[in-house]
Amino acid sequence: MTYEEQTKITKTVIKAAVLMLEYGAESRLIETVAQRLGHVLGVDSVEVSLIPSAIVLTTLSNKKTQSSTTTRRAHHKPINMSIVCDVQKMCYKAEKENLDIDFMIKTMKEIEPNYYNSWLIVFMVGVSCASFAYLHGSDLMGILITFVASSAAMFTRQVLARKKFVLIITFGVTAFVATFFAAMSQIFHLSSTPDIALSSSVLLLAPGFPFVNSVLDAVKGYLAMGWGRWMQAVLLTSATAVGIVLAFTLLNMEGW
Amino acid sequence: MSAIIIDYLLAAIFSGIPAVGFGMVFNVPKETLLKCAYGGAIAYCSRKFLMDLNLSLELSTFLASTIVGIVALYWSRKYIVPRPVYTIASIIPMLPGTYAFSAIINLITMNAHGVTPELITTFVDNSLRTIIVLGGIGFGLALPSLYYIRYNRPII
Repeated sequence: MTYEEQTKITKTVIKAAVLMLEYGAESRLIETVAQRLGHVLGVDSVEVSLIPSAIVLTTLSNKKTQSSTTTRRAHHKPINMSIVCDVQKMCYKAEKENLDIDFMIKTMKEIEPNYYNSWLIVFMVGVSCASFAYLHGSDLMGILITFVASSAAMFTRQVLARKKFVLIITFGVTAFVATFFAAMSQIFHLSSTPDIALSSSVLLLAPGFPFVNSVLDAVKGYLAMGWGRWMQAVLLTSATAVGIVLAFTLLNMEGW
Repeated sequence: MSAIIIDYLLAAIFSGIPAVGFGMVFNVPKETLLKCAYGGAIAYCSRKFLMDLNLSLELSTFLASTIVGIVALYWSRKYIVPRPVYTIASIIPMLPGTYAFSAIINLITMNAHGVTPELITTFVDNSLRTIIVLGGIGFGLALPSLYYIRYNRPII
């Protein structure tokens, strides 16, 4: 294998790995997919070093005498599982049919996220938070108020995401909007369980993905990634709490 | 008896909806949405059942997420989809969001209005519960797949 060929393989494999890291896959999946892709393309081994903001990847070939290393920065984007699924499917297909590097480059260029209609998402998130309110034992009026508050919050979140704000600002402002709307139940005495409406309407901001991924990473031996994701999740939770407190202060209310 | 069955059915429906809703936020492929709903219902109902057996919140969350982990392992091998697609949407109804937010709000209140023993008690209560429940969820989801990971070297 010439050095040029190997460089091309390294570039392709790290592109797949960066796509998975940016859109929120767990570390073990990233590493195994990179190694499987490298195996299909015919290099001897693929070594991956992961940190939360970048990937360093080395491929070895010619009986492990020739190596090619490259680094890519990963810019974290909103979590998107359909892209992770597509990369995984590409890896599986390439393995099964023994496809070449051009197939992979072409597939990765063509990956398009499958976006749901944004109004449908606003409605579904509203219904989801209303279900949380029901599960926590709210009355009917509380459920309705939760629906309105979290739909408004999700709409705000989408508007801010479209303007490409940093996640921390998005979460803070969204929490503010959700609390502001849900607090109406307490101010106007619309519901007998205002605290449930207040706490359920911000549940759309619970950073489940980073928290769960961080535990999964740490348990499987990627300790640095685990800490990084934990920190990210704590930051998002704090931003949310600041948004909630700001709304409470403006409306002159006590806590939940 | 029928009251209990209706109670569980309602819980299953109202925990399936958030799993689908948040699956859409995370942009999971369309064909997995229905399984996310099943996963959410399995997770929440098994935790409710275990808590009805007088187990603690933390332990029942751990066991429920182990069940989800096993089911998701089966589905992911059958349909070639990474496990988090199913698992994370499914455990959404069990996430301790309320505890996490109230812990941090407590912290901010302590800074603003001075530290009192009650505030410290609620803060420690909430944050401990958050961390242990999250750890339980993570461990539960990871356990089934950890079974397949072996150190590839001989024992002696």
